[in-house]
Amino acid sequence: MTPPSKAGERWDRSGVALSSGSPVRLYLPNDTSSRAAGAAQLAEAWADHPDVQLIRTSSRGAFSLEPMVERDTSDGRMAWFGVAQDDLPRIKSGIGGMPVDAIPFLSRQTRCTFANFGVTQPLALDEYQSHGGLKGLEAALAMAPAAIIEEIKVSRLRGRGGAAFPSWNKWHIARETEADHKYIVVNADEGDAGTYCDRMIMEGDPFRLLEGILICARAIGADRTFIYCRHEYPAAAWSIRTAIEKADEAGLLDLDGEQFPIEVVSGAGAYVCGEETALLESIEGRRGDVRAKPPYPAVSGLYGRPTVVSNVLTFAIVPAILSRGGAWHASMGTEYSRGTVVLQLGGRVKQPGIVEVPFGLTLRDVLERFGGGMAPGSRLKAVQVGGPLGSLFPESKLDIPICYEAFSQAGAILGHGGIVVYDHEMDMLDLAHHFMTFAATESCGKCTPCRVGSLRSRELLERIQIGQGTPADVELLFDLGETMKTASLCAFGGRAPYPVLTAIEHFPAEFQRLRNEEI
Amino acid sequence: MDRGTPGLTTVLEQHKPVGGEPPNILRTLLAVQQAFGSVSSEAVRDIAQVLEVTEADVAGVLSYYPDLRREAPSRHVIRICMGESCIANHCDRLLRGLRERLRIEVGETTPGRRYRLEQVFCMGNCAVGPTLAIDEDLYGRVAVSRLDHLLDRYR
Repeated sequence: MTPPSKAGERWDRSGVALSSGSPVRLYLPNDTSSRAAGAAQLAEAWADHPDVQLIRTSSRGAFSLEPMVERDTSDGRMAWFGVAQDDLPRIKSGIGGMPVDAIPFLSRQTRCTFANFGVTQPLALDEYQSHGGLKGLEAALAMAPAAIIEEIKVSRLRGRGGAAFPSWNKWHIARETEADHKYIVVNADEGDAGTYCDRMIMEGDPFRLLEGILICARAIGADRTFIYCRHEYPAAAWSIRTAIEKADEAGLLDLDGEQFPIEVVSGAGAYVCGEETALLESIEGRRGDVRAKPPYPAVSGLYGRPTVVSNVLTFAIVPAILSRGGAWHASMGTEYSRGTVVLQLGGRVKQPGIVEVPFGLTLRDVLERFGGGMAPGSRLKAVQVGGPLGSLFPESKLDIPICYEAFSQAGAILGHGGIVVYDHEMDMLDLAHHFMTFAATESCGKCTPCRVGSLRSRELLERIQIGQGTPADVELLFDLGETMKTASLCAFGGRAPYPVLTAIEHFPAEFQRLRNEEI
Repeated sequence: MDRGTPGLTTVLEQHKPVGGEPPNILRTLLAVQQAFGSVSSEAVRDIAQVLEVTEADVAGVLSYYPDLRREAPSRHVIRICMGESCIANHCDRLLRGLRERLRIEVGETTPGRRYRLEQVFCMGNCAVGPTLAIDEDLYGRVAVSRLDHLLDRYR
């Protein structure tokens, strides 16, 4: 158990470290991944340097360039990549930098929700405001609740956590359902491996999340919010807690004369708690066992009251919809997927990081134009989209447009926008075994198809791994998979077979190899 | 953490449900673990009593969450990320390196309780993986060749 305060102390909370003389002002990201990539050492080395004034910003999300250091010039920010401690003289004299605007990875994107990343100091409310922050809330406060929901309807925003349910409809149901209390629950249990945009928002632009929550609260008449933050994100929890304190000091948590409490609740390492009903059980302090739906949380959620549950990114998109208009949001994307999609590239791609673009680009486009191809020495074998429950795509299937309708047609999911690229060295049988080990470990056990199906599938894969599989075993894997898909209580069990079955579908030889050797 | 130690009583006092509020078992367990490092059988009994739930209710929540512990923690906890992005970046090599050096498997603690090795399914550090966390410190782009140096820093 990590005491949140201790983790916060370790996370560098000094916004600015001033020093004497005429120091050069350097921008250095304070994001967890930037720190892990070397920004933490740079901050330590330069903390008391008389020639440096360090401004700790969020990260631009171009992680192949991290640690990245920026400074102001008359033509905007100039950036240095992969910086080491002894690069300071070079940076001070302005040698070797590149204008941020000229970085293709960034300039080709349509940054909306991630516009402030790398630019502002996360916990400076004045900077958030000077970059357009709080304009959405201002607009919402001047509108009737029903008009706010209408604006969200016009925007055609769909939840970004995975299920892609129309946000306005959730808000509308929660608003219309009579109750003594109504709640907002922010799903910050970003458990899908390969995803990190919610973590970045909480660490890097927390006021945007708070603004989205406040707009929703006003629309549905909520009187309290819980942000359920996974235990693996201590810096994010610290950042959002601090932002809540600052928002409170600034009087923002006062809705129609009533104090509006926003509380951060800690998870304890269970993946299934990212499923909305398991998450509600967990906030109530119980085992994270999923509930049968209906009733949906918008009707009967936390403590049986109407509750809007959405993930961090969904709430963070809301302020711009109110400030720029629902029509603006609806003008981007494809027919059923409006706005931008925040993709998180990872695995063996050359340029991992955050890619925010309108829906509709193909997977191949994204991997080539933003991912920059494969890491040196690697050849592409498969791409997994949507976390550990997402389908695998071989090279021949990469021309699929990134939008809900195309993915749904292909039996795949966009999930939370994670894209993981596997190279030629990845053994698909081992990978399939990993997927089912994960499913068997994380299944909450409430329904039989998921609990037994995942365990039996894992055992079958183990038998194939040691060369004792038979053709009937692969058939049984498909059979179990079908049962899990159709009969599981929640999307966890319903989706768990997909990565395994798509691995068998696209790489059948790897699942016969050992058996043939036996025969 | 004996029954009746002032520490435990104080922690439990703060989580006693007031005014018809429902008890929160998970939150209480997290607070106890934060204060004492782990949750003992005695604590389970006391929590059940204070929250007015059954011991089975408390034990059920305790066994459900991977981050809750029954035994005393080791001096250092090494968590290796087994998320798909780290798997793609061949973190299996890192895991092998750790098992060889520590001579333990995932979920085990070294004799003398210096290190415990755990696996985590993603720490959200995917863009700079493979990822390793030692106690509160997160390391990215960890190569096997860095392991000795890293472990040396946590004796």
